[in-house]
Amino acid sequence: MNTTQSVSRHWNWKAATLLGPGLLVFSAAPAFAHRLEKHFPVESRPVITIHNPNGKVIVRAWTKPEVMVVANHASDKVEVDAEQSGNRVDVMTHQLEDSIAPDDLRADYEISVPEDAELQIHNDSGEVNVTNVLGDMNVETVAAGVALEDAAGYLTVKTVGGSFQCLRCAGRLEVSSISGSLRLLSLRSYHVRAQTSTGNILFDGEFLPNGIYRLKNYSGAIEVRFSPGDSFDLTAMSMKGRVNNEAKLTPPTHPTHFYSRFSNTILGTFNAGRAKMDLSSFDGTINILKRD
Amino acid sequence: MATIGCREFESQLEKWMEGDRPVQGQAHVRDCPRCRGLVEDLTVIQSAARDSFVTELEPRPQLWNSLRAQLVQEGLIHDGRRKSSGWFERILGPLPRPVLAGAYLAAVIAVAFALSGPINQRINKARWLRGAQSAMMPVSTQLNTAEQRTISSGPSPITDSNPVVTASLHENLAIVDKYIALCEKSVQEEPENEIARDYLYDAYHQKADLLAQLSERGGYGR
Repeated sequence: MNTTQSVSRHWNWKAATLLGPGLLVFSAAPAFAHRLEKHFPVESRPVITIHNPNGKVIVRAWTKPEVMVVANHASDKVEVDAEQSGNRVDVMTHQLEDSIAPDDLRADYEISVPEDAELQIHNDSGEVNVTNVLGDMNVETVAAGVALEDAAGYLTVKTVGGSFQCLRCAGRLEVSSISGSLRLLSLRSYHVRAQTSTGNILFDGEFLPNGIYRLKNYSGAIEVRFSPGDSFDLTAMSMKGRVNNEAKLTPPTHPTHFYSRFSNTILGTFNAGRAKMDLSSFDGTINILKRD
Repeated sequence: MATIGCREFESQLEKWMEGDRPVQGQAHVRDCPRCRGLVEDLTVIQSAARDSFVTELEPRPQLWNSLRAQLVQEGLIHDGRRKSSGWFERILGPLPRPVLAGAYLAAVIAVAFALSGPINQRINKARWLRGAQSAMMPVSTQLNTAEQRTISSGPSPITDSNPVVTASLHENLAIVDKYIALCEKSVQEEPENEIARDYLYDAYHQKADLLAQLSERGGYGR
């Protein structure tokens, strides 16, 4: 075990409230009775796995070759655990009793990692926020929303009902959900595959040369924003919904009757067609709009 | 009773074949072996055509136009547009009788060819439907069985203690079920529609995924 420091502090909340009116300032914050802080020295490209049933998971990159885990939970019916095995750090919330109240399940994490860390996060409900991590990442949730900022690498995100937002993400992105909405903002990815059934999809990013962008939903709206200097080949089809397009496209040279027969389809090339953009909806509306 | 000649009978042939058969015409057919042979040939062709196609046999005007143009081009008939009579008479009027029967046969074949498109389309659609159904049915059955198993396996303590997760899984399973029903309807209506099938398989995949998650959690959490 390479743990260099392990600090576990148990607060007696009842006693703490007697300390004085100064604490009233923090009365809006969750009442955590248990706090765990652990530090793990790691080499380059460490792997961090996080498994949490309910709560907030915040991961930030820092410049130290070290993983710091800070966990807070209020209940005695769960415990948090962080262990290192080689260059991997596993963080997990354990349920200690079979039947506990929903609030007792909650554990919140703030984890600092080197920026080349690889993350595997499973958080059923609550939220997941990751900032400035450039390694590969896999995030799975049920109801928890996921927000990535300045992430890169191979990013795979899967939610059931949780929403997803990616701000200034790069690398390769694959995201899927059933009812969550997906927002891809200021994206710099060369490969994007985003799919949701009933959620909306917003793509407001760069169309990199040779980039492939596939956005697909069942219902809900798909919105893509472009600038006059962008360059892409577009296929936008909605089987039962509308396709609204503000891009002036050069029509395709090949026949496209198959798509047209079964759907409302717009195909064509914008500028040189360097990137490829496939938009598909079953009965949702697709909007291809000029950026303001 | 006044009798009519071959030329006059030919001028009435269109109506004759449609069932309007005056007494003078009947007498001519009885007495004239050539016209009787012609009527018999046309009757056989008409009957064969009727048996072959359950659909309406009325050819498209373009078909007759192209047929007429072809016959004019080959010198078999003259351009009948200079006369004011009906199209049938215009075509058949100057035609020798054996050519008339041949032309009618060619026309029926052409009609058959023209109608074979929609028929082939229906056959193709039926084939697509059979293919889609044979692919859909096992998956649908397996998913329903898996769902029943998951329901009967009972609630998991973990799922039970997290109502947000339980609610989300239920809500999304309902969404996917609705989505499957709509996609299946679309595939039934347009089995050759690859896009609809693609959406359906996506929905099956999502349902399988959800059931796996529910199963991992030990049940439905009800």
